[in-house]
Amino acid sequence: MDNSLDSSHSASFWRKYVFSIDHKWIGIQYGITGLLFLLFGFCLMLLMRWQLAYPERPLPFFGAWFGELRMPEGVMLPEFYNQLGAMHGTIMIFLGVVPLAVGAFGNYFVPLQIGAPDMAFPRLNMASYWAYFLGGVTMLISFFVPGGAANSGWTSYPPLAVIATTGQTLWLFGMIFLITSSLLGSINFIVTIFQLRAPGMTLMRMPFFVWTQLTTAFLLLLAFPALEVAAILQLMDRLADTSFFMPSGLVVSGEIQDYSGGGSVLLYQHLFWFLAHPEVYVLILPAMGIITEIIANNTRKPIGGYKPMVYALVFLGFMSFVVWAHHMFLTGMGTAISSFFQATTMIISIPSIVILAALMLTLWGGSIRFNVPMLFALAFLPMFGIGGLTGLPLGLSTADIHLHDTYYVIGHFHYVVAPGTLFALFSGIYYWFPKVTGRKMNEFLGHLHFWPTFISMNIIFMPMLIQGLAGMSRRLWDGGLTYADTTPEGVLTGGILTAGIIGLHKVISMGAWTMALFQIPFIFNFFWSIWWGKKVTSDNPWEATTLEWAAPSPPPHGNFATVPVTYRGPYEYSVPDAERDFSPQFQETI
Amino acid sequence: MNLMNLLPLPELASAHGYKIDFIIYVVHGLMFALFVGWALFILYVLFRFHRRRHPKASYHGIHTHWSTGLEVFIAIFEVALLVGLSIPFWSSHVDAAPNRTDTVELRVVGEQFAWNVHYPGADGVFGKTDIIHIDQQSNPLGIDPNDPHGKDDITSPNLHLPIGRPAYIHLTSKDVIHCFSLPVMRVKQDVIPGMSIPVWFTPTKTGEFEIACAQLCGLGHYKMRAGLIIHSDEDFQSWLDEQAAASAVEYDDFFN
Amino acid sequence: MRNEKYTCFLLVILMMTFAAQAGTIKGTIVYEGPIPKLKPINMEADPICHAKHDTPVLVETLVLGEGRTMANVFVHVKNAPKKSYETPEEPVVISQKGCVYTPHVLGIMVDQPMKIMNEDGTLHNVHALCKTNKEFNVAMPGFRKEFTKTFKEEEFMFLMKCDVHPWMSAWISVMGHPFFDTTGKEGTYEIKGLPPGVWQIEVWHERLKTQTRTVKIAGKDDVQVADFTYQHPSLKKKAAK
Repeated sequence: MDNSLDSSHSASFWRKYVFSIDHKWIGIQYGITGLLFLLFGFCLMLLMRWQLAYPERPLPFFGAWFGELRMPEGVMLPEFYNQLGAMHGTIMIFLGVVPLAVGAFGNYFVPLQIGAPDMAFPRLNMASYWAYFLGGVTMLISFFVPGGAANSGWTSYPPLAVIATTGQTLWLFGMIFLITSSLLGSINFIVTIFQLRAPGMTLMRMPFFVWTQLTTAFLLLLAFPALEVAAILQLMDRLADTSFFMPSGLVVSGEIQDYSGGGSVLLYQHLFWFLAHPEVYVLILPAMGIITEIIANNTRKPIGGYKPMVYALVFLGFMSFVVWAHHMFLTGMGTAISSFFQATTMIISIPSIVILAALMLTLWGGSIRFNVPMLFALAFLPMFGIGGLTGLPLGLSTADIHLHDTYYVIGHFHYVVAPGTLFALFSGIYYWFPKVTGRKMNEFLGHLHFWPTFISMNIIFMPMLIQGLAGMSRRLWDGGLTYADTTPEGVLTGGILTAGIIGLHKVISMGAWTMALFQIPFIFNFFWSIWWGKKVTSDNPWEATTLEWAAPSPPPHGNFATVPVTYRGPYEYSVPDAERDFSPQFQETI
Repeated sequence: MNLMNLLPLPELASAHGYKIDFIIYVVHGLMFALFVGWALFILYVLFRFHRRRHPKASYHGIHTHWSTGLEVFIAIFEVALLVGLSIPFWSSHVDAAPNRTDTVELRVVGEQFAWNVHYPGADGVFGKTDIIHIDQQSNPLGIDPNDPHGKDDITSPNLHLPIGRPAYIHLTSKDVIHCFSLPVMRVKQDVIPGMSIPVWFTPTKTGEFEIACAQLCGLGHYKMRAGLIIHSDEDFQSWLDEQAAASAVEYDDFFN
Repeated sequence: MRNEKYTCFLLVILMMTFAAQAGTIKGTIVYEGPIPKLKPINMEADPICHAKHDTPVLVETLVLGEGRTMANVFVHVKNAPKKSYETPEEPVVISQKGCVYTPHVLGIMVDQPMKIMNEDGTLHNVHALCKTNKEFNVAMPGFRKEFTKTFKEEEFMFLMKCDVHPWMSAWISVMGHPFFDTTGKEGTYEIKGLPPGVWQIEVWHERLKTQTRTVKIAGKDDVQVADFTYQHPSLKKKAAK
């Protein structure tokens, strides 16, 4: 294999920093790109929050930047709002969180944690990053084509998406790049984990993080082809006059459409959600993996039930393929099918609760260190708890009748992904930063980042659950003013939304802007610490047990000076009669 | 204090709605209990096992069957919700048609960005529709002018219904997917082009309510609202007569 | 500087000669046959629109003035000389008032700005269903009082409509020359500035389609009258029988 130690010495600048085949550098590339997209997607949301809190009011300061087609006189147009909505979702999921959770953390730490010198297919790994990069660039370009970026929601349901403006075509091309990237990556993870484990690293000695990455890789590999097919078929409908998803007899704006017809609108939704539900677990499983590492490390004790957790995880991964139609309860479903998907949805809640309960029980009897990574990890538990629990009423088709497509749904999945997955990612960044750079991030700035973020997250998403229960539909440009119970003149309209429920938009927006403000300490801390952070004195500053801490900080090309041997399970903390409160996997004696 | 007012649900005006509200309350009760339990547990543990108070961690942690017990309890609770409430409701209401003779049957057709309500008129038979007859000003539903059943059909942008009689509505769309949402009736159903999907409900309150579109359907989605007017039986009949009188006039738009 | 002055001078002279040589065609369009009973538009879907009218608004398929003169008929010279004409800078204005487009039929020149006004304070979306030109669909929420658009290609008669209020429609024709006019309620049109020649005058109505007539402009200051009559379709059927 050419990923041996010496190939790096003569590497040119391009080979080393741009088209690198080193899993760690690719991980860093994924990380930086993913964080930038995360920030970009976050900014799109901040813009939307202005329109929702102050509908039809000109945006101060920045309003003039967006031009006549998007924000004439600084007031956002509905078409631009719809672009922001669709692209916020797409960017956060496919360009932000997945690349960070899988591309960055997975790439960097899976080989290290299993004692491998690199990924099994380094060139495939590079191709995966560059396909992702191209996908991202395509998405960005789409903002500048006539009609702007895709505006049919991140779900891109036809017929709306098929008759939409040019941006949708670019969205589809972008998605094809991104899916290709994920497929290349997932094959690589599976082969690496099965083939490149160091001596002694049996499957049941793998850190839980590696298990989550393995499960995630299978989800990506098996679920993404369905979306790739859906994207290509939709592209054909748009460009090649096919009608896979277009029924006959469509009349748009009073004009009879000349699609040959016979297509199925619902086929797309089935293909889409066949990916997009496992995708939820692609977002959340690596996060659970990261949290597990950090909770074990900072409670100084083994996690409460490694084996049940692994079994629950694999079961979760399997079940995630048979719940997709719970997103489609209201498409006209009979009793038999809706009962099946409700039942699977209820079943899938059990392994999630098993994992969450195991992590909470781990805390019992620990000697808990409250450092910044641990704060984020601890906050993950109740936040993900709310996200999971609010999934229950949505998973029951009867309750879903009222809650479907309301702000309740937005609140629910954001609790899973934002204070859930994102907190895990922040936690992971603070935790592994010393391994990647050889320096620690600043603790004070970390606290300044954590506490306001934790509070404002709840100010943002808790009111959404209330708005949803009150019946506010999502994706409304005017934030529901059309459905207000009284007009500004005080006339009763028969609407359901009170001024108080609509007014919560202001609270949410204030929360969002506050949160934006308190990301500055993180951004500053991140870059400052790369060069001026406190140097770590040991390769294992957190006194952890897994193999990545056996490598130098930062690890050189090829990772380990000598191939590490694994002697025990991943979380042997506070072993009775041991010399210290941690017994690393790579250390022969306890 | 009435427990059924704890959640900010909108006003309820249909016969079946309390079943949906009940299940929402029961699930939220479970969620609240679990969350509070977990939160108290976490706070207690974080306090008790803080490094300062508990410098030496225990390798074995706790052995408890509490968590297994809790998981089994949740599983049983979920099965009860499913089998006892959600599935029976679906099969008896969503997946069934009203079995009363006084049912009001009508069609609702969604389009970007408006709703069209189609009543069959006095003969109780819907006129044939075809897209070639659609004229946005005079015939938005494309009712065939040569079909005798279509002569007495009524087209309205708002949904008028009588109180106390089941309304059986066939939903379709002209262009993209919409979602027919009547929040006060606890009715929500995607409206899908190429398909005709029925919903039904029995209004229990008179008054003016609304139809909302709950599925993103384009730039005017947020404005796709129409009125839902529930009349007393007599008022509904007089509204129908008024409409029938208006549609009995032979309009001429050069098509005939 | 001097050069510029001369050019200006020359141009003015040229234009004057051109104008002096030009002829005019005018006429009146009347309707014949039973006056159809038109359907009132139901605007109840949007209370804002509904509140703006005291009397029912009828569909606009046939709008007649006193003496059965026809409005909304578009008249143009079908075989106008192909050359480049000066594009007027003055915009054509179409307004959305009471959830109706005024005017209902309009002609505009290539590259001439079209100013679209929203006087209703509710959402309209301006959806032009053009084929040769690029189709556009722009939202005009209450706050957006006006918006300007140009068309790049010649295109005869396409619909512009509002999807929020499906009854709203306007017919637009993008012309490559200035020889066109639209009748108002008084049913008259006037096409000025035509050079001498034999011209085909075509009148267009959204339901009653087109009629053509040949008119000769002999020379200087020639004024020709070309009147047209549209008939209710039932009359034609009878005649055929």
